[in-house]
Amino acid sequence: MENSIYGDHLPRMEEIVRNMQERISSLREKIHSEQGMDPIEHYLARIKSEESMREKCRRNGLPETTESALEEVRDAIGVRIVCPFLDDVYTMRDYLVQMPDFSVIQEKDYIRNAKPNGYRSYHLILRSFDGYYIEVQLRTISMDTWAALEHHMRYKKDLTCDVGLISSELKRCADELASTDVSMQAIKNLIMESEEN
Amino acid sequence: MKLLLAEDTQDLNRAVTALLKHEDYEVDSVFDGEEALNSIMLSDYDGVILDIMMPKKDGLEVLREMRRRHIMTPVLLLTAKAEIDDRITGLDAGADDYLPKPFAMKELLARIRSMTRRTTAYTVTELCFEDITLNPKESVLSAHNTVSLSKTEFELMQVLMANKDTELTTEYILSHVWKNDEKAHKDTVWLYINYLKGKLKSVGSRVTILGEKGGSFVLTTQL
Repeated sequence: MENSIYGDHLPRMEEIVRNMQERISSLREKIHSEQGMDPIEHYLARIKSEESMREKCRRNGLPETTESALEEVRDAIGVRIVCPFLDDVYTMRDYLVQMPDFSVIQEKDYIRNAKPNGYRSYHLILRSFDGYYIEVQLRTISMDTWAALEHHMRYKKDLTCDVGLISSELKRCADELASTDVSMQAIKNLIMESEEN
Repeated sequence: MKLLLAEDTQDLNRAVTALLKHEDYEVDSVFDGEEALNSIMLSDYDGVILDIMMPKKDGLEVLREMRRRHIMTPVLLLTAKAEIDDRITGLDAGADDYLPKPFAMKELLARIRSMTRRTTAYTVTELCFEDITLNPKESVLSAHNTVSLSKTEFELMQVLMANKDTELTTEYILSHVWKNDEKAHKDTVWLYINYLKGKLKSVGSRVTILGEKGGSFVLTTQL
């Protein structure tokens, strides 16, 4: 078996992934019991495969070394949290940024500032106290559905259909989905407020 | 602006066509009802002028066929008959206006301007307030970002922006946006105000809406 690009860091990385999973599970249970709703629809965590990491290094003109994989590329450990509602996304963000054993390296709110193609998500790059990066993507179910389709389309070569048309229509859908997310949140707030009374 | 003129009297047709072109209208001229209908099916006109008495299909037949196909282009009927009943028939068949012959050219022009006004001047172009733009064509609200608005949300936003310095009561909003729909009430308005507040925030705007459920609402800027 060839040497992993991750060297002997893999066990520790796996531990970080497990640990994160546990924390998120506890948080979900806590919020569920307090508010009656699970803030997470699904949670995915993965360590980027050998092949993907090597390919990414190559694509970015980096040597295929452990240093590249762990220092230059920052999504060796990737987490995606998909939430039912917009406020859940920000609740997750608030929790993640205040974890004492992780520091926040970068935050990008592509929800408030959607990318020109319509992409929306909240991106966080965290670093564990012992120097391992985690890329976290936070999004709603709508954003996730859209991103999956857009990703699929983007990576297909030789599409015979009008790519310009698809792009503009995808953008339109992204804006409509974003609108629905806001409306659903407003409805949820209304329900929650009336439950309090 | 593009007009269709259907008039079988050649001299009159030529004279009116020349006049309209002189007034910078793009004009298609036809001499019978069948040609008129063909033209309407092929092109999108801003206004149609139909003589009632025409060979093949008369003006009323053409008009009824248009309306049956839900072509809502404004129509001006030229009637040689000046009787009230004919005018009533014409208007009820879907005409927007009528002009009995003989008519003064300048009156024709004024009536054409009047009937096409609704499709242009009253068509709302982009509305702006502070950092937001409301685009009626795409039904989209933008500031730093764009978001879609449903038909009702759009109309509510439009009303708020058009009355930007005035507080609008829930009753006013119900009658102008929901047009007194029986199913709508103050909770409906409140929910939609909240939808808009959320959408304003989602496009990164400084604008928000002040007001409480059942009360009056107004757009405001937060700093």
